[in-house]
Amino acid sequence: MQPAPLRHRSPTAGLLLGLILTLAAVVAYSYYITTQIRGLRRFQSELADRNRKDSLQLLRIQNDLNSMALAMRDMLDRDEPYPLAAWSAQFQRLHGDLDDALRREEQLAVAQSSPEQREYLRSSLTQFWDATERTFALARSGKEDEARGEIRLSLQARLAALNTAVSRLLVQNNESEEQAAAHVGEIYARVQHQVYVFLSATLAAILLTSLYVIRSNRQLFAQLATLSEQRSELAQKLIAMQESVLLHVSRELHDEFGQILTAMGAMLSRAGNHAPEGSTLRADLREVTEIAQSTLNNVRSLSQALHPVMLDEAGLVPTIEWYLPTVERQAGIKLSYGKSGSPFPVENNAAVHIYRILQEALNNVIRHAGVREAWVRLQFLPEALQLEVEDHGTGFQSTPGKQGIGLVAMRERAELVGGSILFQKTIEGGTRVRLVVPKNALLGNTVSEQQREPHV
Amino acid sequence: MREIAGVAGAAALSPQLFAVTAAAPSAGFKLLDVSGTAGLHFQHNSGAYGGKLLPETLGSGCAFLDYDADGWQDILLVNSMDWPGHKKQRSTLQLYRNNRDGTFTDVTRRAGLDIEMYGMGVAVGDYNNDGFPDILITCVGQNRLFRNTGKGTFVDATQASGLGNRLGFSTSALWFDYDRDGKLDLFVCNYVKWSPEHDVVCSLDGKHKSYCTPEAYRGQTCWLFHNRGNGTFEDVTANSGIFDSSSKALGVSLLDYDQDGWPDLLVANDTQPNKLYRNLHNGKFRDVAVDAGLAFSTEGKARAGMGVDTADFDNSGKTGIAITNFDNEMIGLYRALPRGGYEDVAIPSGVGMPSKGTLGFGCAFLDADLDGLMDLIVTNGHIDDTVRNIRGNVGYAQPPQLFLNSAAGNGKHLFRDVATDIGDGFRQPKVGRGLAFGDFDRDGDLDILITTNNGPAYLYRNDQLAGNKSIRFRLTGTQSNRDAIGASVRIEHDGITQTRVVKGGSGYLSQSELPVTFGIGKRDKIDRAVIHWPNGRTEEFKSLATGRAYDCVEGKGIV
Repeated sequence: MQPAPLRHRSPTAGLLLGLILTLAAVVAYSYYITTQIRGLRRFQSELADRNRKDSLQLLRIQNDLNSMALAMRDMLDRDEPYPLAAWSAQFQRLHGDLDDALRREEQLAVAQSSPEQREYLRSSLTQFWDATERTFALARSGKEDEARGEIRLSLQARLAALNTAVSRLLVQNNESEEQAAAHVGEIYARVQHQVYVFLSATLAAILLTSLYVIRSNRQLFAQLATLSEQRSELAQKLIAMQESVLLHVSRELHDEFGQILTAMGAMLSRAGNHAPEGSTLRADLREVTEIAQSTLNNVRSLSQALHPVMLDEAGLVPTIEWYLPTVERQAGIKLSYGKSGSPFPVENNAAVHIYRILQEALNNVIRHAGVREAWVRLQFLPEALQLEVEDHGTGFQSTPGKQGIGLVAMRERAELVGGSILFQKTIEGGTRVRLVVPKNALLGNTVSEQQREPHV
Repeated sequence: MREIAGVAGAAALSPQLFAVTAAAPSAGFKLLDVSGTAGLHFQHNSGAYGGKLLPETLGSGCAFLDYDADGWQDILLVNSMDWPGHKKQRSTLQLYRNNRDGTFTDVTRRAGLDIEMYGMGVAVGDYNNDGFPDILITCVGQNRLFRNTGKGTFVDATQASGLGNRLGFSTSALWFDYDRDGKLDLFVCNYVKWSPEHDVVCSLDGKHKSYCTPEAYRGQTCWLFHNRGNGTFEDVTANSGIFDSSSKALGVSLLDYDQDGWPDLLVANDTQPNKLYRNLHNGKFRDVAVDAGLAFSTEGKARAGMGVDTADFDNSGKTGIAITNFDNEMIGLYRALPRGGYEDVAIPSGVGMPSKGTLGFGCAFLDADLDGLMDLIVTNGHIDDTVRNIRGNVGYAQPPQLFLNSAAGNGKHLFRDVATDIGDGFRQPKVGRGLAFGDFDRDGDLDILITTNNGPAYLYRNDQLAGNKSIRFRLTGTQSNRDAIGASVRIEHDGITQTRVVKGGSGYLSQSELPVTFGIGKRDKIDRAVIHWPNGRTEEFKSLATGRAYDCVEGKGIV
């Protein structure tokens, strides 16, 4: 049955879209918040600056009024050697400065004073300057005592009224400053609230994206697992099929061709016995008999090579112990074999795979290690069977993604028997292939290694 | 033509000085403390005994003057005295005669100036046009006018001149001819109404008495005295429009801010608006400081103005202004605007922030490195010796500053404080007050005189290291006042125009020399020199060699 094709949808596009949206939201909101704060700062700065300047102008007005009060006190004290008219220039200067300060203050005033207030201030000032003019006119005409009287009765009182009006403006200015500060506070609170909302939205977006990523990852891993399972299943089927074919061919060779050749040999031997001694026929029949025997031997060897029947009949350990000298003889390599532990039964199917792994490992040693010596260790551990093939040759060159079919087959076979295989570098620089198969995966309805009768 | 000074920078051709020049600091000159070797052994006596009386912390001034008219600048150092009831020592001003070899001789007693007074400032001017400079010493109490007899002595002309019987707390003063009648008139700044009996108790820490700020006292008007020409003066304070009982003046400088040829005055007031008295040509003045943008800081606040000087520091042909203020207020550096009025360019020019932590007193524009741009020198020092207990980052003694001027393009100028580069002695913190400059060794560059409160006076010799030269002019008026105070000299070279004004008293309590000095770099000559005499006459001289000084007499040219 053909497996259903996997629907392979990449999450990258979705993730990129989410990232772009999140980044766009962050940039847009950052720009918005920055603009808001900059505007707020400018507003605050301008307002504070305006308030400060306004207060300074009001203080300047107060200072001018105080200067006039002090000048009037000096005029009354009579401790200057100058006539009262000498103060005229001082008052003119203060008049000019006061007008300038009032004009500037009106432009700067944050707290809008009522028209009545302004009108009162203007009329008070006009009356004050009129009274001042009258006073200096009296002084210039020599009526200094009358001028001083005017100062006491009129000028000082008007000045006090002006002072009160300006003080009121200062108080209003302070109140307006407080209101402005409260307004700014409200705006800051609003901005803070918006920042919190934005942060929450960003967190939610990050959370959703994370969930999406987790879900996508899970799907990917599930797909990978399925693929891996299918690949493994396929490999196992291939291996099983290969083993089945080899077994079949091996048996056919052993049973069919073996029997035929044996019969042919016997028949030829008998026919030879019937031929006259020293005849050409007898010599020919003997030669054919020898050829049949040689062919029978070759067929048996091929049968063993394709599937050692010995495995089925004698078990893993004898097969290995038979196989290793064969390899030594055929490849001209010295193999040091060691066996330890108490042998336990190994199920036939598993034994085939372990045997094939040993074959492949030794093939690799012969073909790639460049050495004439190797070690094979078979250990029956309490919980597992461990097979090691070690050489001190050029070492195992592992290229990720480019493993040979032999290594893949070794892994698959290890998995088939429920074990694990490791390819290690040895201290001496060679390779150690270690196969470990749990004991319970090896037990089957087979006779124990000790109970098997050696098959010849 | 008579050469009255050597050639600045001529010695730079010698191998020894060339070697020094190669290793010279970037400022191009050094100020070497020669007070001791020159023979200046002055100690200011403020009279402080612990009573913390206001005048103690403000004095005193100094002057470069050529009292014997020998062409070499002499030195006058103003002194105060012990307070009545706390007499411990005798202290007088000191007059040092220039020995023409880099040293000075104390001639105070010989000159008849060995008189005790609570002196504050000094203004030097030949008020009787006899060719010998007379001296006004401003005092707490009665100011003193000393007439120069021309024989190396002075006589006290206070009473005879009509300046007597007038008590005050006078500070800076200057001589100028406000009515252009050829006779020097006198302007005197007064600080506040103060007497030991009416001293106010103030405290910084709530425990100990400290010096009060001027808000605690009533102001006192400045005085203007008209020179009648017969050795007497007439008080024209009231009629001239100068009278202002709110004034708390510490510094005054002469300028012609409206360029009408009539001298105007700029007065620096402490915690009161500064005053710019515009000359109305009829013996009257009008204060136009508010309109000109000089009365208040840019924030509209009246600062604590101390010293003031005026000069064409950007070679624009218009007069710029520097006013020193209290710490945390920074120096006010004003540039004349084309449309009239001034703008404070202290911060963009680089003077503002470095002066924010200092309390400035004396200030003067001068071309210290003779590069053709006027630099600004300032003396600093707090008024209260316990200030560090209250404000840890402000010291009583503070280093003076010398802001070197460099053109930054677009008519703008940048100033850089080079005090740390021009000699170890100069940068030492001092309780600086008075400041004057003059070429006492006649090498063509400007040497510096600094007084300190209750401390010594310092004379710094200017040694040019970059080989820059100068050209100097000493003016003698004939129709105008003999000192030519108020005259302006304009020189032109390579398309650059520089202007100097002869001033009789400026800065803070002090007076610099009357000859004017132009730095001209390494040029060998100037194209043109134009003198505008105080009475309106103009004289022009062409192609003058540099590295020398010229005597110019009104109507006679260079003699």
